[in-house]
Amino acid sequence: MDPTDSIDMMDPTPQPLIIARGLTRSYPLGDGAVIGINAVNLMVAAGEMVVLKGNSGSGKSTLLSLLAGLDRPTGGELVVAGHSLSGAGGVDLTRYRREVVGMVFQSFNLLPTLDVLENVCLPALLAEKPAEPVRNKALELLDWLGLRNRLHHTPAQLSGGEMQRTAIARALINDPALILADEPTGNLDSRNGRIVIDLLSELNRRSGRTVVVATHSDLADDLATVRIRLQDGALADPPCHS
Amino acid sequence: MPQLNFLLKIFLWFSVRHLRRHLGRALVVLFGIALGAAVFTSVRLSVHASLQSFTRSMDFFAGTADKVLVRPGGHVPEGVLPVLLAHPAVKEFSPLLTTYVRVHPAKGGAFLLVGIDPLLDQPFRSWRLRGGRTEIAERWLDLIREPKTVILTEPLSREIDTVAGARITLDHSRNRAEFRVAGVLVPEGLALVEGGRVALTDIATFQEFTGLFGLVDRIDLRLRPKTSPAQLEDLARKLPEEIEIRSPSAARDSGSAMIRAYQLNLSVLSFASLFVGMFLVYSLVALNAASRRRELAILRALGASPRLLFNLFLAEGALFGVCGWLLAIPLGSVLVKYLLHTVSQTISTLFVRVHVEGLLLSPAEVAVSFGVTLCVAVAAAFQPARDAMRVPPKEAMEIAHTGRLRRRMAGRLAAWAAGCLLACVPLALLPGVAGVPLPGYLAILLLFVGSALMAPWLLEHLGRAVSPGLRRLAGTPAYLAGRYLRDSGARTSISVGALITAVALFTALVVMIHSFRQTVELWVRQTVSGDLFVTTKMGQVNRFQFPIPAEIVDNLREAGSYADLVPSRRYPLAYGDFPYEFEAMGMEPFLKHGGFVWLQGEAAEVQPRLVAGEGLLISEVFANRTGLEPGDTFRAWIEGSRVELPVAGVIRDYRTDGGVVFYSWDHFKERFHDPQWSGVRFYFRDRSGDIDVQTAALRELLIGRWGDRLDMISGKDLREAVLRIFDETFAITSVLLLIALSVAALGITTTMTVLVLERTRQLNTLLAVGASSRQVRAMICWEAGFLVTAGELAGLLCGFVLSYLLVYVINRQSFGWTFLYTVDWGVLALSAPLIVLTALAAALPAVRTALREPPAMLLRER
Repeated sequence: MDPTDSIDMMDPTPQPLIIARGLTRSYPLGDGAVIGINAVNLMVAAGEMVVLKGNSGSGKSTLLSLLAGLDRPTGGELVVAGHSLSGAGGVDLTRYRREVVGMVFQSFNLLPTLDVLENVCLPALLAEKPAEPVRNKALELLDWLGLRNRLHHTPAQLSGGEMQRTAIARALINDPALILADEPTGNLDSRNGRIVIDLLSELNRRSGRTVVVATHSDLADDLATVRIRLQDGALADPPCHS
Repeated sequence: MPQLNFLLKIFLWFSVRHLRRHLGRALVVLFGIALGAAVFTSVRLSVHASLQSFTRSMDFFAGTADKVLVRPGGHVPEGVLPVLLAHPAVKEFSPLLTTYVRVHPAKGGAFLLVGIDPLLDQPFRSWRLRGGRTEIAERWLDLIREPKTVILTEPLSREIDTVAGARITLDHSRNRAEFRVAGVLVPEGLALVEGGRVALTDIATFQEFTGLFGLVDRIDLRLRPKTSPAQLEDLARKLPEEIEIRSPSAARDSGSAMIRAYQLNLSVLSFASLFVGMFLVYSLVALNAASRRRELAILRALGASPRLLFNLFLAEGALFGVCGWLLAIPLGSVLVKYLLHTVSQTISTLFVRVHVEGLLLSPAEVAVSFGVTLCVAVAAAFQPARDAMRVPPKEAMEIAHTGRLRRRMAGRLAAWAAGCLLACVPLALLPGVAGVPLPGYLAILLLFVGSALMAPWLLEHLGRAVSPGLRRLAGTPAYLAGRYLRDSGARTSISVGALITAVALFTALVVMIHSFRQTVELWVRQTVSGDLFVTTKMGQVNRFQFPIPAEIVDNLREAGSYADLVPSRRYPLAYGDFPYEFEAMGMEPFLKHGGFVWLQGEAAEVQPRLVAGEGLLISEVFANRTGLEPGDTFRAWIEGSRVELPVAGVIRDYRTDGGVVFYSWDHFKERFHDPQWSGVRFYFRDRSGDIDVQTAALRELLIGRWGDRLDMISGKDLREAVLRIFDETFAITSVLLLIALSVAALGITTTMTVLVLERTRQLNTLLAVGASSRQVRAMICWEAGFLVTAGELAGLLCGFVLSYLLVYVINRQSFGWTFLYTVDWGVLALSAPLIVLTALAAALPAVRTALREPPAMLLRER
């Protein structure tokens, strides 16, 4: 059985998973402020494969950090999977990050002192889930991602592609409804980049999980169900559904 | 020169700007090294001031004499002067007498009265009166012409508030008399002896005042040029057998050697603070080298040579050394004010009388302090600089940094550590070099280095051993902390090394001071027993040279109906260059009430021999310095008597740094001559009543009969005073200890903050994958807990070894004494959690720093 099939958080009828109304994030700087994103309105249904594009400084990372619950909006409203993130406190955001989102980073961000299996188990252990079922689930994910023979290797002993696949397994360990990937192919060669994008697409297709990929690359273009282009902190065009 | 300019420019661009960007960290390290340098410098300057004062005083006093005639334990009879006059080797001579006196009614403390022949003394010592040429000649001739005249130094005349022409009354052990102040000395030469607290009188006046008719303390000699050893031997043969011809510098050299040994011990102790500061510098320079690998690779890719990178990081260490030393100047100037007084008081109590008027800023000491601080800081930067020069330029092309684990290093360092620790054993067994325990100090250094090198291995194994269990017991944060420290490498363990050093020092000093105090308490209870101690007036300051007058002794004996009396006579002597005291004491009554702390020999077997006068006891210090042991024969000239007696046993004694020899007073009188009484102690026979009341009554009785011709102190007060002096002596040690611990706490603060700062990305990753802020903080606290626990455990272990080295190697070789090894478990049990709590509190800034950066930074960093 595909381990991703076991995820049953999805609503059978596609409903908006992400709702943003006038979403704004600005950063105070001296007497003024720098705008990260400005009055963004967005609605993404569950099960979409969203590709977020834009030049450097367009607001991709800001939007992603708001969606990930790593940052709070300074204006507007943001609701993800029924969680309102606009006025959420620290405890709420921690619970949200544990239960709702899985993150994949450009620089992998694996903990260097933990081995592959431990890195994958980490989010579930932090959520204080029982160790044995977590380990079994991690083994299934790593098996699926072709890393079964790398369980006790540290990140320093892995290739870039292997590190990113480990990061994907880590993102999936808590069965999140939303996968956020920030430039997931940025540090990979084209072959490994293709593999990672295919994996994310497969996740989206087979389990109906919502995946948001912020990228400069064109690799994900043909697999996206929704394309969003940001420019100067705002949507350049209305979201494009394929 | 162009190369130096280039290095300076790159250093300003690359290193100084980076340090400015992380000013907080740099300041903490700077403060740590400055504190270490301040302690080291002020301790050395304080002891140096005492040493300078002492040697200067002794040099002025010795004057231009080539040789000195003395009679051990007694006075030289003036009868030898015709021999000196007639001998061809003797060009000039000057007899001399000294004693401590004070003004009556009491105004200021005791000062030195020197009796000279103003005419004979001219070629020997320089001293000059204030005033016009004729006036001066008149005044110093007054010393000879007019009995009971005295010349004072300026500071002394100010202290006792008198002027030339005025009359003052002087008190001495044996007499009280009025003197006319004939003049005031210009502050030069002899007038600078004892910090200027000195007065001159004619030798005849001195002898009349002190009752030493026909006797002098010593006779200084100036020999004719090209005097041969054979002529000197001829002179010695013509003098009475008990007269010794000594070098005038002997007293100065033995006193200086004692102060230097004390300086070395305090320097080593104060160096510990600098040593701990060294860990701080290493910690920060290593962090900079590690966290800037990419920049280093870029520099290399742009053409920088490995040597340039090496020099850059070495210069960073040097910058900390120079700035730390500069910052140490204001810190040290505060500290030295406290140390100057305490150190001179300790030296006066333990070794020789010194008067320190102020701080003498010795260029050599300043250079030593600067050099040591700079060397320590540069040495601390050496390894990080080597790491930096090895960064390959190709790293500039790499993007992903997954951390470089140096697991194998721990094993290699542990092997070095084992080598260092093993080397301590043979070093500890080696004898000192020229009385300095150099092998012992080396053993201590290796012990510290070995313990610090063991830290990575210790952390790795501690992390490995406890992490799995901790996950079940304390959750994921504790597990992650253990795993992180297991793999964190040298930088984390360096901080543990600093803590090990400080805790070891703390433990060792607690054990040593406790052992010392317990032994001294035992010695005080047994050897300093007695209900009332009586000596002649100013007996202590005049080293009991003047016996109690016979009429007073007869009166004191009357107390024999209700108290046992233990008479004693102390003789200050020298065994070669080593000063010691010979004490003839009433052995039988003493052993009835008190006793000795035995080291060699069985009390039951030796005591009857002592009472029978068949042997004497030597102190441990005397035995260690002279090599004499039970069964050997002790030989000395004492007041003209040739004393040859077998050594019956060795005892512990902590009266002074010099040794002590005890023999029966009665048998001394019977076999040699009447030593008279320089002191007596009373033991009341009826112990049922209130001893304090009986003591007070006896004291009142003696004062009523003899006024202030005697000095008296109750046994209880004397014992309390001995212990108070002991505690004051170790006050300096405690201050140094606290500073070392403070520097170590700074080390923990820096390390924990640095660990957090360099892992901001990892900590944010934890937050991104679902960790709560509480979990991240808990993890950091656990990390601090691990560091501190490892440092505390290893420090305790190292401390016990160190305490053994201090008690049985360093003290034995430096001062000649050891103590009964006892551990103050109470203090250690109380202090261990306190140190842990302090160190954990030091980790709080790191906890606060941990979540200062928003986790969204993860998505912005590239």
